[in-house]
Amino acid sequence: MSRLLAILSLALALATADSDAQPKQAPPLVIGEMLKGRFIQERHLSGMSAPLRSEGQFLLLPGRGLIWRVERPFATVAVITPVGILQSVNGAEPMRLPAARLPSLARFYDMLAGALTGDWVAMQQNFHVEAHTDGASWTIALTPRDPSDAITTQIATIAVTGSELVESVEIHRPNGDWERLTFHDQTRSAAAPSPDDIRLFESAEN
Amino acid sequence: MLMWHVHRGIDVQTDLLALLPREDRDVRIQRAKDRISESIGRRVLFMIGDRDAARAHEAGSELADWLQKSGMTDSVTSRLPADEVRSLGTVLFPYREGLLAAEDRARLEQGRASEIVDRALATVYGPIPVASVALLRNDPFFLLPSYLASLPSPLPRLGPDDGWLSVQDGSRTYVLVTAQLSGSVFSLDFQNRFVADLGATEARLRAQFPELVILRVGSVFYAQDAGKIASKETAEISLVSLVGTVLLILAVFRAIRPLLLCLLSIGVGVLCAFAVCLQLFGGLHVAALLFGVSLVGIATDYCLQFVAARFDVEAKSPWDRLRRVLPGISLGIATTLIGYVTLLLAPFPGLHQVAVFSAVGLAASFVTVLLWLPLLDSAEPLRHGCRMLASAGWPWRFWHERRYRWARLASVGVCTALTAAGLTRLHADDDVRHMQVLSERLRLEELEVRRLTGMGVAGEFLLVEGADEEQILQREEAAIDRLQNAHAISSSLAISEFIPSKARQRDNRGLVREKLLAPFLTSYYARIGIEDRPAPPPEESPFLTPMVLATNSSLAFLRNLTVNESSDEIAHLVLLNDVPDPSAVAAAVTGMEGVRIVDPTGDVTRLLRAYRIRAMILIAVSAVLMLPIVLWRYGRRGTPRVVLPPILAVLLAPPLAALFGVTFTFFSAMALVLVLSIAFDYAVFCREARPPRIHVVMIGIWLAMAATLLSFGLLAFSRTTAASGFGTTLLIGTLLACLISPLADNSDPS
Repeated sequence: MSRLLAILSLALALATADSDAQPKQAPPLVIGEMLKGRFIQERHLSGMSAPLRSEGQFLLLPGRGLIWRVERPFATVAVITPVGILQSVNGAEPMRLPAARLPSLARFYDMLAGALTGDWVAMQQNFHVEAHTDGASWTIALTPRDPSDAITTQIATIAVTGSELVESVEIHRPNGDWERLTFHDQTRSAAAPSPDDIRLFESAEN
Repeated sequence: MLMWHVHRGIDVQTDLLALLPREDRDVRIQRAKDRISESIGRRVLFMIGDRDAARAHEAGSELADWLQKSGMTDSVTSRLPADEVRSLGTVLFPYREGLLAAEDRARLEQGRASEIVDRALATVYGPIPVASVALLRNDPFFLLPSYLASLPSPLPRLGPDDGWLSVQDGSRTYVLVTAQLSGSVFSLDFQNRFVADLGATEARLRAQFPELVILRVGSVFYAQDAGKIASKETAEISLVSLVGTVLLILAVFRAIRPLLLCLLSIGVGVLCAFAVCLQLFGGLHVAALLFGVSLVGIATDYCLQFVAARFDVEAKSPWDRLRRVLPGISLGIATTLIGYVTLLLAPFPGLHQVAVFSAVGLAASFVTVLLWLPLLDSAEPLRHGCRMLASAGWPWRFWHERRYRWARLASVGVCTALTAAGLTRLHADDDVRHMQVLSERLRLEELEVRRLTGMGVAGEFLLVEGADEEQILQREEAAIDRLQNAHAISSSLAISEFIPSKARQRDNRGLVREKLLAPFLTSYYARIGIEDRPAPPPEESPFLTPMVLATNSSLAFLRNLTVNESSDEIAHLVLLNDVPDPSAVAAAVTGMEGVRIVDPTGDVTRLLRAYRIRAMILIAVSAVLMLPIVLWRYGRRGTPRVVLPPILAVLLAPPLAALFGVTFTFFSAMALVLVLSIAFDYAVFCREARPPRIHVVMIGIWLAMAATLLSFGLLAFSRTTAASGFGTTLLIGTLLACLISPLADNSDPS
C-alpha cells in the first residue's frame, strides 16, 4: 500500500538525481529546497471499464516528506513522512499509519534519502535500474530484484519518464492493475512551504 | 519418623496461596491463576536490535536456534512464514459481514455512516492503492481492513517485516523473539543454568555482530537475580553470624563447649518439630519452615541461661546450676509456648504449621536443656569473669540505683521523643511488590522493551464464566464495554475482541445492511464507476466462533486466555492492561453475572495484610493468655513490673524501626511475636534472679541478645525489604528488651 507511494516519491526524487546516465537532469534536490506541482492519477483496475481518475497538487520537501492533495473528484489529503502516513478527509479525525508498524516503509525513507543525495547504491539493492536517454527526455525502468521481497512484492515494474524533471510514472502491479501519474506545472524552489503545509507536516510527525 | 519422611520424599510447598484459609480458595480462580502464571511466568521475550535490519534478522535467527536447541524451552517464536502473517485476514474474510471495528460500530449506531463512506472514497482516490475491483465488490467500504487495524495487539508498536515482528527505533531495527520455558522457573538450578547459557550465547552473538543490542524480559531473569542476591546475602550473613557467635562464646567462656551445647539443643528442637509437622500435616510450607526455625531459635535464651550459670561460683555442679536457673527458664518457656500456641487460634493453615513447628521444637529444645546439658557440661564454675560480670549488670544498676535517677528520666524522655517521631512515620504496607527489591538494571531493560513494543503492564484479569462459549463471549463484551465507558482501563486483550459473540455479529450485520449498504452503496458504486451491485449475502451465513483458535496459528496467543476445566466446561480470561485504579475496575464489573476479578498480585497483598492483622491480634491475645502464669507467680503487685518490659519492647519497636524507614508489614509483625517472647524471657530471668545472682543472669541475657542479633538482627542489612524489615524490628525490639529487662525486678539495690 504505502510502499507504492514511497516508490512514487522515490521516483520523483530519483529523477532529479545526478548521474551519468541522465546528463540532461537537473542537480539533485537538497534539503532546504522544495518541489511543487500538479498531478493527474489514473488508476486502472482490472474489471472496471473506466479508470479511477483523480487530480490535485503535490509538494515534496527533502528531509521532511510528501504532501499529496487530491482535489477532484474527492478532496482528501495524505501526508507521508518518516513517522508514517496521515490521511484526512473533510477535516474529520485523520487516519494514521505509523511507520513503526511498517519497517519496510522506514527502509524506503533510507532509500529516498540515498536517492536525494544521488546515491544509486541504495536503489540498486532492491531494483534493477535501467536508464535510456532519447534526446532531451529519458526513461528509467525499475524492476524488483527479488519479487518475493516484502518491499517489492506488490510491484511488477515501474517506469519513470522525464526531461529536466519527472513527467510521468507508471506502476504495474502483479495482479494486472496499473496506474499512471503525470506531473505538470512543476516548480523547484528554495522557498519555505506555506504555513498550512507546515502544519500538515507537523500533525503528521506527531 | 523423620527418616521415614525423608525416605518418602519431603513435600515442601512453595505456593503462597497454600497459606490461605481453605474457604477462600476457589478451584476455578486457582486454575485461572495457574494459567496466568503459566503463560506469563514462563515467558521470555527478547528484542534484538542492530543498525542493519539484515544483521538484526540474522542475530534473531541464531538466538531462536539456540533457544530451540537448548532443551530448556517448550516453544520458540521468531520469524513467521509469510503465509502465516497474512492468514489472519484470510481467516476472517468469510465472516467480515459480522466484524466491525468498535469505532465503525459507533459510527453506524450514531448515524455517522457518511464518515465511513468518505474514508472509503479517500482510499479509492488517494495515493495508497489498496483497492482492487475484487475488494470493492466484497468489502466496498473496507470494513475488514479497518477491523484488522483496530484489533488489540499485545505488542502494538511491532509490525510485520519479512515475517519478523519488528520495530524501527531511531537508527536501529529491532526484531522480536519469544519463548516459553520448559523447566520450572522457580527452580534456582534451572534459572542459573538458563541465564548462564544464554549469557554465553549472547556473548557469541555480540562478538559476531559488534553493534548488536539484546534486550530481555522475563520472570526468570528477575528470579535468577533475586536468587543470586539472596544466596550471596545468605552466605555473607551466615558467615558473619557464625564467626560472630563463635568469637562471642570464645571471648566470654574461653571455651567452645557452650556453643556446642546450644547447637545441640536447637538441633534436637528443629528435628523433632520437622518430624511432628510432617506426620501431622503431611507436608510443610517453606514459609512456615523458615518462621518455625526462627521461633525455635529462641531456645538459645534458656540454653545460655544455663551455660552462663557457670559464672556463678556458688553453684558447684551442673545439676546445682540447673536448679538455680530452672524457675526462670520454666516460666520463660511457659509464656513463650503460650505465645506460639496462640498462633493456632487463627484460621490460617500457614500459621497453624508455624505454631505446631515452633511449639514442638521449643519443647524438645527445652527438654534437651533439662536432661542432656547438665550431663554434657563440665563441672567447674568459671572464675575469669569478674569484670565482665560487673559490666554485664550495668543495666540493672542503671534502673535501680539512686544516682542514675536523672539519667533515667532523661533516657525515658529521649525514648518518648524518638517514639513520637517514629509514630509520625509509621505506616503499614502490605504491597507484595514492595517486599522485594527488583534489579535496577533488569527494570530499565524491561522499561525499554515496553517502550519499544508498546507492551502493557499486565495487572488484573477477569475470569468470565457462562453456560456456553456464546454466553461467555457476550458477558466479556458487556464487561469490556462497561470498563471502557468507565475509563477504568487503557486497553484489554480478550477473545471476544477478535471473535465477537454471535449476537454481536448478527447485530453488526444488521447495522451494516441498514445503516451503510442500503442508503449508500448504490450511489457510492455509481460515483466510482462500478455498475453491477452484488446480491446481498444469505441471511444466516456462518458465524465466526472460537473454534478457529484451535487451528489458526495467527490467533494462537489467544489460547492462553481460555481456562479448560474439562472439555465441556470452559472459562475465558480477559487481560486488563495498565490498570490505574483497581477499585474502578471492581466498581465497573460488580454485580455482573459470571464475571470475577483475578488479581494474583493483589491477592498476595491481601493475604499479607490479613496475616499482618491476624498476627497483631494474636500478639495481644497471647500477652493476655500469658498473664495467668505471671499472676500466679508474682501476684497482683509483682505482675505489672514483669509485663512492663515486654509490652514496652513490643510497642516501641515498630515506631523506632520506622525512624530507619521500615514500614510495618507482616514480617515486622512476626518479628514482634519473637520480641514479645524474648522480652518476656529476659524480664522473667531478671525477676527470678535477684541480686547478687543478677550479674550472672544479665550475662546470659546479653549473650542471648547478642546471639539473636547475630542470627536474625543481621537480616536488617538484607537488600530484600521483607527480610530487612523483619531484622530491623527484631534488632531494635531485642536490644530494647535487654536494656529494660531489669525493670521487671522490684528489689531494693541496698
